[in-house]
Amino acid sequence: MTPLLLTTLGVIFAYAVYLATASARQTSAPRDFLDGGLTLPGWGYIFAGMGVVIASLDLESHLLLIAHYGLQYSHVALGLVLAAVAAALVHGRLWTIARMTGIATPGRLLGDYYGSTAIVLYVLLVLMLLALPFSAVLLSETGALVETVTAGAAPAGLVIWGSAFFLALYTIIGGWRGLIYVLAGQSLIVLALLLATTGAAGIAAHGLSFASYGIAVPAGIASDRLPGVIQFTAGLGKSVPQAGLWTTTQIASFALALTGITLSPGFLLLGVSRRTRTGLAFSQVWMMAGVAAGLLLLLGPVLGAELSRSPSLTLEAFLGLIGRLANVDQLFAAGLVVMLVVSQQIAVAFFVVSGASLVTSDLVKRYVLPDLTPAGERLSARIAIALIFIATAVLADVLPLPALLLSSVALSLSAQLLPALLGVCWLPWINRNGVVTGLIAGLLFVVFTEAAGLVAFEAIAIDLPWGRWPLTIHSAAWGLVPNVAFCVIVSLWSRQREAVISRDTPRRLHEGLERWSPVRLGGGATRAAKWSLTLLWVFLALGPGAILGNSLFSRATYGLPGAGGQMPSLLVWQIASWFTGVLLVWWLAYQSRMGVVTGTPLSVSIAPPASPLTTDRRPRWISRLLGRLTLRSGLVEDGARENR
Amino acid sequence: MTELEPDAALDRHALVMGVWLALGLIATLLLHYGLGTGGLPAVAAGFAAVLTAFFAHVIVNAVYATTFTRRELALGLVIYLTGLLAVSLAALSSAAFRDHGFVPMAAGLAGSGAVIVIYMIIHFGVRGVFDAFNVIGDFRVDEDDEPSGGGRQ
Repeated sequence: MTPLLLTTLGVIFAYAVYLATASARQTSAPRDFLDGGLTLPGWGYIFAGMGVVIASLDLESHLLLIAHYGLQYSHVALGLVLAAVAAALVHGRLWTIARMTGIATPGRLLGDYYGSTAIVLYVLLVLMLLALPFSAVLLSETGALVETVTAGAAPAGLVIWGSAFFLALYTIIGGWRGLIYVLAGQSLIVLALLLATTGAAGIAAHGLSFASYGIAVPAGIASDRLPGVIQFTAGLGKSVPQAGLWTTTQIASFALALTGITLSPGFLLLGVSRRTRTGLAFSQVWMMAGVAAGLLLLLGPVLGAELSRSPSLTLEAFLGLIGRLANVDQLFAAGLVVMLVVSQQIAVAFFVVSGASLVTSDLVKRYVLPDLTPAGERLSARIAIALIFIATAVLADVLPLPALLLSSVALSLSAQLLPALLGVCWLPWINRNGVVTGLIAGLLFVVFTEAAGLVAFEAIAIDLPWGRWPLTIHSAAWGLVPNVAFCVIVSLWSRQREAVISRDTPRRLHEGLERWSPVRLGGGATRAAKWSLTLLWVFLALGPGAILGNSLFSRATYGLPGAGGQMPSLLVWQIASWFTGVLLVWWLAYQSRMGVVTGTPLSVSIAPPASPLTTDRRPRWISRLLGRLTLRSGLVEDGARENR
Repeated sequence: MTELEPDAALDRHALVMGVWLALGLIATLLLHYGLGTGGLPAVAAGFAAVLTAFFAHVIVNAVYATTFTRRELALGLVIYLTGLLAVSLAALSSAAFRDHGFVPMAAGLAGSGAVIVIYMIIHFGVRGVFDAFNVIGDFRVDEDDEPSGGGRQ
């Protein structure tokens, strides 16, 4: 299978290089390299966005976790509906704001809106976490997967560096525009192969294993039910949750982490860099909530059940499935590996290139080399792409464990941007003090409930009394709760003072949003109904209410005799929740017009905060302290002079 | 039908390539499987994937308010003729293919060709289809890759 696999991957790389070259030859403007000149086609967002959402979930790990935990883990795919809701809330309005202000990069936009360099730095931190350790983990998985399936004929190190080279090659040629073209095509490939390999898996097993045997999870784990609403455990590493980790609280909090995909700076850039106003709602409703969530929910358990037939739930599990697929046809076996590798490369290329583009715009151009010409910016972005790919490959090949630890916080920290983005798009009363305080609190809580923080403390011989994700609550929720609380309290606390300083920019911006991106939430009752139903859906599909799905659709619930081989009640609940979730996103994106932009807006200027590298901005308390000290030393000198 | 701006032409080209690559890969998988152990249903599914790609291409044309370019038509014609040639040679050289693969493949090729030609006749008219496929006569090196004329004159 090795030649077949490498040939197929070679064809896909050749396609990528061809499209990138065509893009570079056609669009020679330097801005096209950084953000597609804000004229990317709507379908780029539609298809590439869907692919990035699936890839960021890490398809390979997703399937292995389904094989390990069964339907309780498969439930997390519903979190993509929540990610689509987050996209509906933010992307349309950011598109309008970008046209109003002329600011396309999320870091600069947030920084200028709130007048804070700290927020820009936070966005850059999230960018680097996604571009380096998060991408390195995926690249490392590619290496290990290809090495395993080729029985060592293609060593992991070679695959990692080879992949990094080819990804760097086409992205350095094509930039952001070329990347989105390629990702859109690759997303379609992943989608098609997911369908084909699942079908072939069914043929290989002469009937789907999932339908015949269910998912053969290890002993002690509930395969087809959620293991409770919450478990009062100290967290992973300290105690083992009974019957599985994925309680409803864990799933709901994990879904918050998944909003970190659509709220990540790279994804925001993708949303902003579309030329047309159309396609936004279509992508959120039908591609993210519909196709991505639906396929993972429906096909994930099928492939997971096939993997669970292997005695070892590691990469070796794929070998068993590949062997069975090869019995059907060698191409199907290669197709499964190609699907996984391409999905990983979608995420790696997307996060590295978005990271390089935004670092160039928000850091290099803004603070380090303000006089950089557009051509210089493009060169800088190319150098940044090359350097980030080298760093990612080093992390993947040499330091996979640190990469894994650091990557664990990436999506959770990205989700912490939610209050700041809501402030820009919807809530003008949220101010800089609130956002910065909230981000600091969220950052600390995320780090200390994730492996990265715990290991850091262990390294200095402090054993924290909790483990990873205590109380079966994901770090994203541990961070968002204090983040939102601090953000709201501090914003309200400092509102009066902030109003005296300047609230003119937010007022003008939100007036523009009301004009160019109005929502139709209806009157008081309708508005309340829409938000209530949204919360009700979250409660029933992802939150504590999902526990009803364990048995509601089983025959035993209604006193009927059990039937062998019937569909698990939880799966029916998941499908029903997905269906209603798509309707919910449709209602918000189309009917409430959150995903619809009505016109081309007029410009509004935002004054950027002064650069800390070029201006002397001492905090007042330091100035006062220095003043006192200099005054005191002056007094001492005066006293000494008098004594003399 | 309008002539596309260079940027729009590039956008369309990228989308068309993405569609054909994904569905072409699936068609290859299914046809390979069909010629092996899959039999007629898999071959039929393979050709269905090809036709799905064709109609997706038509939808892309409709979105961009244009038609197939001459190069696309030429490439399609070459691939189709290559397929016909390959099936003919395989039928002559392999008894196994002649017994099991020839009929479904020939039927699939004939059916696909018929569907595509019928679509184009409905869309462009008989003269338009002939002009569109007459790529030898006006396929000049210095000519831009413009959408074919076609259309009801």
